[in-house]
Amino acid sequence: MIKVSHSFQGPVITGFQVTLRPVAQNDLSQLRDWRNSDTVRQQMLSTDFISEEQQHAWFKKIQRDDSQQHWVVEYKGQAIGATNIKARFHGDSVNTAKTLEPGLYIGHPDYQGNVIAFAPTLALYDYCFAHLSVESFFAVVKAENKAALKYNQQLGYQVINQSDLIDLRLQKEGFERHTELLRRLLSRSPRKGQ
Amino acid sequence: MDNNAKIKQVFCQALGIQPEQVTDDLTYNTIEQWDSTAHMILVAELEDSFDVMLDTDDIIDMSTVGKAKEILAKYDIQF
Repeated sequence: MIKVSHSFQGPVITGFQVTLRPVAQNDLSQLRDWRNSDTVRQQMLSTDFISEEQQHAWFKKIQRDDSQQHWVVEYKGQAIGATNIKARFHGDSVNTAKTLEPGLYIGHPDYQGNVIAFAPTLALYDYCFAHLSVESFFAVVKAENKAALKYNQQLGYQVINQSDLIDLRLQKEGFERHTELLRRLLSRSPRKGQ
Repeated sequence: MDNNAKIKQVFCQALGIQPEQVTDDLTYNTIEQWDSTAHMILVAELEDSFDVMLDTDDIIDMSTVGKAKEILAKYDIQF
């Protein structure tokens, strides 16, 4: 179960132990460090380093671009990564698009390769299916990125095209079916005293 | 069966691995068999075997066999 509130920059989504809040100016330095780290950069479709100037231009662009939305992922009040959605087809906004392309990385080294990596996706996709017009998600991963492929398949994505890049598609029914147990485990009450 | 043998058996069954692979350092997502699906099965089997109910923070924190023992120790399971 997710909770959604609204900030000036966009929706704030809370659920499955994490909070997704829209990226703010003061997140940029941390996000750039993570995005340029070898662990994260090598899994990206573009492995180029991002300069401070490029990132500021990107941030300025996304402020007025309704075809994409970016969030910082927080766990226990600490930023651990970033996630985003983009309209798949030119001219669509994220609010009206039938197909969205998601993005996610966990930058905090303590949480890379941890089951918490599923939490932001559960929260984000639940939000998209319940509050936006999306009917399916479309993801592209590098063929050598076995971890991302497995991650997506565990969410219920189906491979629809395979070459150097692998195209995957996910619909609501498959997502809910594949994540039933995962969402139950990540929805338990927090530890007493917290 | 003591608790060390019991936890080893649970890991072997849940992950489908050999007893000699179950060391305190064995870490989530570092072997093919310990993925998120297996993690969920593991949690369920640990709960059944040790008669405990883990909370979400425990499930997230349980990233190694050693960590699993530490978490179970909070529930008065001694190793």
